[in-house]
Amino acid sequence: MRTEDLIEQMAATAEPVRRLPAPSVLALAWLVLAVALVSLVVLWQGWRPNLAGQLAEVEVLVPWLASILTGVLAVLAATHLAAPDRSARWRWVPLPAFALWVATLGGGCFAEWRESGDLTMAPGMDCLPEIAIISLPLSLLLFGLLRHAAAIRPVSTAVTGALAVAALASAGMELFHHADGALSVLVWHAGAVTLLVTGFALVGRPLFRLIAIRKPRFAR
Amino acid sequence: MAAAQNGDQVAYAALLRDLLPYLRAMARRRFRQAEEAEDAVQDILLTLHTVRHSYDPARPFRPWIVTIARRRIADRMVRLGRRAANEMLSALDDDETFSVPVTNSDMETAVQAREAVAAVADLPPGQRQAFELLKVQGLSLNEASAATGLSVTALKVATHRAVLALRRRLGN
Repeated sequence: MRTEDLIEQMAATAEPVRRLPAPSVLALAWLVLAVALVSLVVLWQGWRPNLAGQLAEVEVLVPWLASILTGVLAVLAATHLAAPDRSARWRWVPLPAFALWVATLGGGCFAEWRESGDLTMAPGMDCLPEIAIISLPLSLLLFGLLRHAAAIRPVSTAVTGALAVAALASAGMELFHHADGALSVLVWHAGAVTLLVTGFALVGRPLFRLIAIRKPRFAR
Repeated sequence: MAAAQNGDQVAYAALLRDLLPYLRAMARRRFRQAEEAEDAVQDILLTLHTVRHSYDPARPFRPWIVTIARRRIADRMVRLGRRAANEMLSALDDDETFSVPVTNSDMETAVQAREAVAAVADLPPGQRQAFELLKVQGLSLNEASAATGLSVTALKVATHRAVLALRRRLGN
């Protein structure tokens, strides 16, 4: 088909469209829903025993805050990367917070090992249902909001989106799930995050192709 | 563009017509063959149409369309590079030389893919091997795994990295 004819056909079928909200508005809306969802799970599961005492410890508080910061920056990055006119450099924005989170968790492990001389690790898979209940709806929602990224930056959007979901799920878990020791948290939380993010780096492109808004077909 | 988002078909057609020479110039800088450049322009237009709700009228239009255009051009170059590398390598495997004009002109098309072939050759050895086995020779993951002794996952990762590297190099 001649490009000029394609243009005429595109214009002739162009219905009014609803504009997407600005990336930061999308991110904020998603964060509100994330907080609501985590609150629901906390209501259902109950607060973790001695939560206030736990969060008063710097070794717990700093990584927890860093995980929240990672989640917030990562969802901002994802919504900006999905918009064609925003800088691709957004992909680096959550990195410092993520590094701080992993580093402070690692530091906690080291401190624990120096104090007690051994590191115990709890089997972590018992929290799988809670993880799934938080992260599945959050992922579906986020990737639904970001479908338009398929055409632009599928991989970096998928990776930062996955990081946002995983970091906030981890931060939420800390509120109700009793994890034993810094090593468990490092292995199960940061490990799961790394696994998820790597996974999404590999499947980002096909995933977004799958959920992409379909291109219109014009007669040839 | 803001008018087009509101359903103003006349404004939309006018915008696209104005955009056309600019997109063509962008595409022709990348593709030597006019048909390839024109296909890239149509890709860009279709993507613009599909994601036109993502444009924010409060912001400049140019960065928005330039990102979309670059993306579609880069994607097409990678696809083209794969196909061309395939043709070139199979041409190199032949011992005979041809003097028939038709085959010569085919060879010339393949020579245009030199850039792509060089890009493949410059990949790190592991990535190049995986890319050539899976994407050029068309082996299945299991066959390639048996041939190299590498795991399926390692091959997938290496191929993926190779594609990314090619996309980066040919996309710029």
